[in-house]
Amino acid sequence: MASSTPASVPAEVIAAVTEPAGGGAGARRTRRLVAAGLGFVLAVAIVALAAPWISPQDPTRQSLRGRLAAPTLQGADGRAHVLGTDHLGRDVLSRVIWGARVSLLVGFAAVVVGGLIGATLGILAGYRGGWLDSAIMTLADAQLAFPFILLAIGIIAVLGPSFPTLILVIGLSGWMSYARVLRSQVLVLRSREFVDAIHALGGSAGRIVARHILPNVMSSLVVIATLELARSIVLEATLSFLGLGVQPPTPSWGGMVQEGREYLDSAWWISTYPGLVLMLTSLVVSRTGDWLRDLLDPTLRGE
Amino acid sequence: MSQVTRRELLKGAATLGAAAAVAPALGSTAQAQTTQKREFIIAQGGDIAFFDPHMSTSANEIRVSFNVFDNLISRHPDGKLHPSVATEWKLQGQTTWVFKLRSGVKFHNGDPLTSADVKYSLERSWDPALKTRVNTVFTTIDKVEAPDPMTVVIHTKKPDPLLPARLAFYGGQILPEKAAKAAGPEAFNLKPVGSGPLRFVSWTKDDKAVLEANPDYWGGKIDVDRVIFRPIPETAPRVAAVLKGEVDMITALPPDHIERVTGNATTKLGSALYAGLYVLAVNSKVKPLDNPLVKQALSLAIDREAIVKELWRGRGIVPNGPIAKGDNHFDTALPPLKFDPKEARAKLQQAGYKNEEIVIETTVGYTTNDKPMSEAIHGMWRDAGINAKVEVVEYSVRAQKNRDKSFKGLWWSDPTSTLSDPDGMMWRLLSPGGPQDYWRNAKFDELGEAARFSVDEKFRGQAYKEMTKIFMENWPWIVVIQPYEDYGLQKYVEFTPNPNQQIELRRFNFKLKRT
Amino acid sequence: MRALVGFLGPRLFRALVALWLVSTVVFVVMRLSGDPVPLLVPPDAPRSEYERVAKDLGLDRPLPVQYAVFIGNVLRGDFGRSIHFRQPAWRVVMGYLPATAELALAAFGLALLVAVPVGLLSAVKRNSPIDHVTMGVALIGQSAPTFFLGILFILLFSLKANWFPTSGRGGWEHLVLPALTLGAFAMASIARLTRSAVLEVLRQDYVRTARAKGVPELAVVVKHTLKNAALPVVTITALQFGTLLGGAVVTETVFAWPGIGRLAIQSIYNRDYPVVQCTVFLSALVFIIVNFVVEVIYGFLDPRVRPR
Repeated sequence: MASSTPASVPAEVIAAVTEPAGGGAGARRTRRLVAAGLGFVLAVAIVALAAPWISPQDPTRQSLRGRLAAPTLQGADGRAHVLGTDHLGRDVLSRVIWGARVSLLVGFAAVVVGGLIGATLGILAGYRGGWLDSAIMTLADAQLAFPFILLAIGIIAVLGPSFPTLILVIGLSGWMSYARVLRSQVLVLRSREFVDAIHALGGSAGRIVARHILPNVMSSLVVIATLELARSIVLEATLSFLGLGVQPPTPSWGGMVQEGREYLDSAWWISTYPGLVLMLTSLVVSRTGDWLRDLLDPTLRGE
Repeated sequence: MSQVTRRELLKGAATLGAAAAVAPALGSTAQAQTTQKREFIIAQGGDIAFFDPHMSTSANEIRVSFNVFDNLISRHPDGKLHPSVATEWKLQGQTTWVFKLRSGVKFHNGDPLTSADVKYSLERSWDPALKTRVNTVFTTIDKVEAPDPMTVVIHTKKPDPLLPARLAFYGGQILPEKAAKAAGPEAFNLKPVGSGPLRFVSWTKDDKAVLEANPDYWGGKIDVDRVIFRPIPETAPRVAAVLKGEVDMITALPPDHIERVTGNATTKLGSALYAGLYVLAVNSKVKPLDNPLVKQALSLAIDREAIVKELWRGRGIVPNGPIAKGDNHFDTALPPLKFDPKEARAKLQQAGYKNEEIVIETTVGYTTNDKPMSEAIHGMWRDAGINAKVEVVEYSVRAQKNRDKSFKGLWWSDPTSTLSDPDGMMWRLLSPGGPQDYWRNAKFDELGEAARFSVDEKFRGQAYKEMTKIFMENWPWIVVIQPYEDYGLQKYVEFTPNPNQQIELRRFNFKLKRT
Repeated sequence: MRALVGFLGPRLFRALVALWLVSTVVFVVMRLSGDPVPLLVPPDAPRSEYERVAKDLGLDRPLPVQYAVFIGNVLRGDFGRSIHFRQPAWRVVMGYLPATAELALAAFGLALLVAVPVGLLSAVKRNSPIDHVTMGVALIGQSAPTFFLGILFILLFSLKANWFPTSGRGGWEHLVLPALTLGAFAMASIARLTRSAVLEVLRQDYVRTARAKGVPELAVVVKHTLKNAALPVVTITALQFGTLLGGAVVTETVFAWPGIGRLAIQSIYNRDYPVVQCTVFLSALVFIIVNFVVEVIYGFLDPRVRPR
């Protein structure tokens, strides 16, 4: 659930909401925390990438005889099921591992898509100014002021659930933050003479973007991307839970929670483990984003 | 009565029981087995879409319509036909049936039930303008006459020994001619008027349908004052509802949850071996399902034993063909349907299968275990080299596709053997123009037609044997299981489930154990 | 006065733009899949019904005209007839609105009731174990996915502990878990905000002065913080109310709560597009109105903008 505060609310107010708890720590401590957080993300990414090798079993392999088995080292099919099996006898641990793949794939892709769309729109708005700027910024505020999930399900309903649609929709849900940052950076630069100077010397817009805009916004972009990654992962899981995201039998954390709903009282592990992993990932990634922001660019508190 | 009051009642009763120093287990459970309730709540797996008995034949609807409406003849849970609105019936000659009607039967609006209403109802069932779901139930009837208000004469086209059985099931409900004509089909569907033991009160979609007991019912007022049907599509909340006493009965109790009901102090299980089959119906018009070899492979690749044993916890039978156990002409000599993935692969090769996608469009919870079975079969088919896919559709979408005949491949169907005879299931549904007419075979049609009108049971038996053979070469349905249909009941409910999915609430079958 | 108009003008404009944007996206998406008529009538509808709807939408006219017709319909509240319910979509959606309102208000009320005192307490007992624990829980509440929170609550408090029913709408006991689930994010945010706002106030000089004068801690806190922290807390709190609508979709689905969120999802499964269109639009409308009202209130409260 992203913060969706319109621009009118003063920055001090927003800063207070997102202020890290427990008081401000020293930069060194924050750096260590960031390292730990990034390490976690890396670990999950490695697990996801290495899924075909480290997953104990094929996540879609059914074993009706061993269905709904509690975590055990000796299952009905002779194999260990450390996190139990689901209603079709599939190994929950394997599905959680492969589910990480889906979550990270969709999450990263959506972040890239959102970033590209947002950066482009933001640069356009800052560069061209005038009515285009107002239009884009009004669009951004309008979208912020709206529970996007409704639009998302509406779009997916008509277009049908598929990976590209999912990535596009999730990416579209978060372009605003990038746009705002890029736009302000462009505005800052525009007010300086050297842009005119570069123009005078024959430099292209692309060059300006690459050499002068991007390096300055890089740290802000990293912060935003991290926070957006957490949000995208949760949004994908939510859509999959509703049946509008990743389709079975492809394992996804949200989908697994949905599958386990019917067996909550008897085989609670089917829903609980993927949900806990999801919660942990979301927590760590978003906190890492917070710490990165403290470290790199506290002015971003408005996001 | 609110749930809080009932909980307090049970708690109080339990304490009393314990304090009475009777053997504690016996004491408390005995108290929990009685009630003072005058309202009865049934939770089904889906909402009611139609109150007009001619517009739907699905389980959720017939459970209501058989209580709101009467038939001429009724099939009781014991499997036998009993007089209902018709007190007696006689066959005169070969093709004329005379029914004497009960006097004093009134519709809920006060109008008397006469032969004119019976004539109207039967003719309405096949009225092409209305596009009813029961238009092929009475194709054997040539003409209906109402010579006097208490007599109905039905002429069949050819000798039809099963006519009384046909009248007992869906399509045979009696509607009030005046009221139905005045209201028109859409309005009548929202405010049905019948002569049965339950009267329609109100219906809030996706919330509940409220019916009240008809105090003037000719069979006697039923044991409660009100009956409420609630849809609870998700399994876990539905089971929880009966465990906690929020509802008195639930349908579509999946085998995975039976232990919760039997292990609970206040609830018990009600079961009946389904008089029908659960099948994957096939749209044989869609490639590659138009190829019999492909369909044979599909059938061979299903491990029905595992499905019955594991997904159904043993509560079901592996069928041996398209005829349900308990029906006439069920062939005990036939073995259970074969599972042979190797042969399946061979058939696929023979068929020239090019890995075309085969889609199962499944509902979730409409037919018990539909989604888990779809997923299990999906795995089995993939193992046999079939490019299978499972898509989930909502019940209303399935209903639309059913009317549209626009299924992409296969879908779950639970054909009921309405007559305890293959004519009422295999032939009724798969015959030309029937609800599942996706595939035709000249010999099959010839045999079906002949067997319908023959009075020679030996001939009929032989005909159905041959039809079974043709069926198992062409597989218009992929037959999967004949399951036990389970109901969760409060212990104070005295009720016998009907194998044909009706919930019979009339006095002879339904009573609450009163305190 | 000028300041007020200058403040409200752009915000009103933005609200209208948002509404326009939502309608346009709906229009575009519906047209994207080809002919929208099959999406809007039951498949067994007679030919005449098809033609009537097509004419109503202006499908025989050029696209810009269709769009104008569509916007006109939207302004009149005409979203077509629900295929599933066989009634005007607008009426169906209105019927489900009270349940969502009940849930949202309960969630919101619960959030405020718990978060403000907790935030206050945390600030006063800064850096104590209580502070760390509550802020830790708040962090989890802010980052946990709503649907899983709901599932966990059902598992722990309904199935294992048997304190509450697992689903559905009924007496107050049915409201607790869904309200808790829906309000979790808001509760966490408000708690953290309250804590910060109170801490900010506690730092001020006049507080120290009061303390030096011997006024007890609690009196200091209550008198000064409530006045000064109120503004930001109220603002953010009211804004959270709007966010609840998005969370309602998931919460209502998990708890089978018969509100418009669940209606939207069910309508999608049912392919009942008139209702889907209507719920999307109505939710946007409610959300935008709430936001706008909050901004107006803020405008009145903020001394910089308040009319003289």
